[in-house]
Amino acid sequence: MKDEQIYERINGVFRDIFDDDSITVNANTTADDIEDWDSLEHINLIVAIEEEFGMKFNMNEVTTMKNVGEMVEIIKVRATK
Amino acid sequence: MNLTSLTFLLFCIITLFFYFIVPKKIQWYVLLIASTIFIFYGNLTKFTFLEVLLVLLASYFGARKIDSEKGKKRTYYLLGSIGVILGILFLLKYTNLLLVTFNHLFNLFKVKYKFKLITRNSPIGISYYSLIMIGYLIDVYRGGCKAEKNIFKVALFMYYFPIIPSGPFTRYNDMKKELYEPHKFNYDALCSGLVRCLWGLFKIFVISQRISIFVNTVYGDLVTYNGFFTVIAALLFTLQLYTNFSGSIDIIMGVSEIMGINLPENFNAPFLSRTITELWRNWHITLGAWLKDYIFYPLLKSNFMQSLNKKYRKKIGRKKAKKIPLYLSMLIMWILIGVWHGGTYNFIIATGLLQFIYIFLEDVLAPVMDKINRKLKINPYRKTYRLFQMIRTYVLFSFSLIFFRAPSIKKAIDIIKSIFVWNPWVLTDNSTLFKAGLNIHNFRVLIIAIIVLFIIEKRIKKGNVRKQLFRQNIVVRWALIYMLILSIIVFGCYGVGFDPASFIYRQF
Repeated sequence: MKDEQIYERINGVFRDIFDDDSITVNANTTADDIEDWDSLEHINLIVAIEEEFGMKFNMNEVTTMKNVGEMVEIIKVRATK
Repeated sequence: MNLTSLTFLLFCIITLFFYFIVPKKIQWYVLLIASTIFIFYGNLTKFTFLEVLLVLLASYFGARKIDSEKGKKRTYYLLGSIGVILGILFLLKYTNLLLVTFNHLFNLFKVKYKFKLITRNSPIGISYYSLIMIGYLIDVYRGGCKAEKNIFKVALFMYYFPIIPSGPFTRYNDMKKELYEPHKFNYDALCSGLVRCLWGLFKIFVISQRISIFVNTVYGDLVTYNGFFTVIAALLFTLQLYTNFSGSIDIIMGVSEIMGINLPENFNAPFLSRTITELWRNWHITLGAWLKDYIFYPLLKSNFMQSLNKKYRKKIGRKKAKKIPLYLSMLIMWILIGVWHGGTYNFIIATGLLQFIYIFLEDVLAPVMDKINRKLKINPYRKTYRLFQMIRTYVLFSFSLIFFRAPSIKKAIDIIKSIFVWNPWVLTDNSTLFKAGLNIHNFRVLIIAIIVLFIIEKRIKKGNVRKQLFRQNIVVRWALIYMLILSIIVFGCYGVGFDPASFIYRQF
């Protein structure tokens, strides 16, 4: 899968979860950049991404991922859909 | 050893002296020796020694085994070592909670038997280092860090002396650089660390200790002092707790800073928060982070919670369905926070259930509040509205802390009842208020000190105040530092009847 395709699908998940069609993420996007991305929404986002790509993040990744770029690197390796 | 005692000062001077004169390679051994003395100081018994040793051995060998084994065995070792640590913690801290529950049940069913509560010395800092070591084991299990091969390094990470009395919670990955790598003496770090210690002492002696006189007087005699006295005491107690706890954290961070050791911040001006949710993001931050990573996230991501989510998705829609596992996980987490804070039910209410109810209501009522604001044409971004929100948050938090301060639920209810006595003249006549331990002079000092506190807090939130201080020219800089020192000496409360040893957060 190409990076652009992954980002396109991730954007869809973000827009859906945060209910905001203007969101466009890139590798450097962090929780600070999106107002509603707090610790309560974090897991919802993670689970939605997991469902979208048919893969799992481990707990260490869930708690230490620093930005969307790191998320995409993991998706590239593990995505099944 | 108390953080504000002369013994601690002497202890720090000796530790710092040896820390900076020994060869850099063995620098951390000085810290280990100092920490070992600190944790057992005045509390060395067979029991405490064994308890500390057991937690250390369980963490060390547990982590090594988790690292070297594969498959299910890793999980067994993780659960086994966490079991040992939790077992000791529960045995020492929560046996009485269990016994009290049984006694209540006996009472309820008219059984005439009563368990005697046990009193046994537990090592200081047990609630802190137990959770820190559980975090370490889970990190190794999750592959977030490697198991440390040197048991003495694990020991230092477990009970590095400044964090023993009241945290903050640390992570092995962050601390290994800080603790074991050599640090050179740095004059700027010395000055900056000392100023932080002084600021902590100011909070403790000028504000916290002063408030404690008033709060103790009022809560000690609710027949004489009620109505507005109780309201003021409840509002002030929040500040007493905050200045006491964050003041000791300042001393802890200051001493560490002098040694070149950076610890994670535990507070970020919590009373400038507009909601209880936001307040908890800025209050005891490292506890929140610990709970989030090791309890809240795994719980929320668990198959059970996610299946709940899916189950209700069709029935009530996705937006509402995702709230069910969220609220349930939050409830469990808040009860655990309550349990951690103390082995009695009033803590479970104060720092657990009530906080959950607040946060739950904030979330549920947010759309309603938005509607009301729109109808009343209130602009939520206005400064006055923000101020209103801050005050509301402070009052709600203060209310929950009535249960924290009271020794039992019954006593807390007595305090709440005593609020409903109408005596507004307390505020207007010139003398009544000043009979509850603090005279007019003390109230003036307190109010000015609180104003200074809020101004500095606001500045700290925006940037590094100490850096700004050290950028000033020599006259301004030293004038400010001397003012701080003088105000601690002149306005600090040290007299008879004040017990600086009673750190509120120390008992946890």
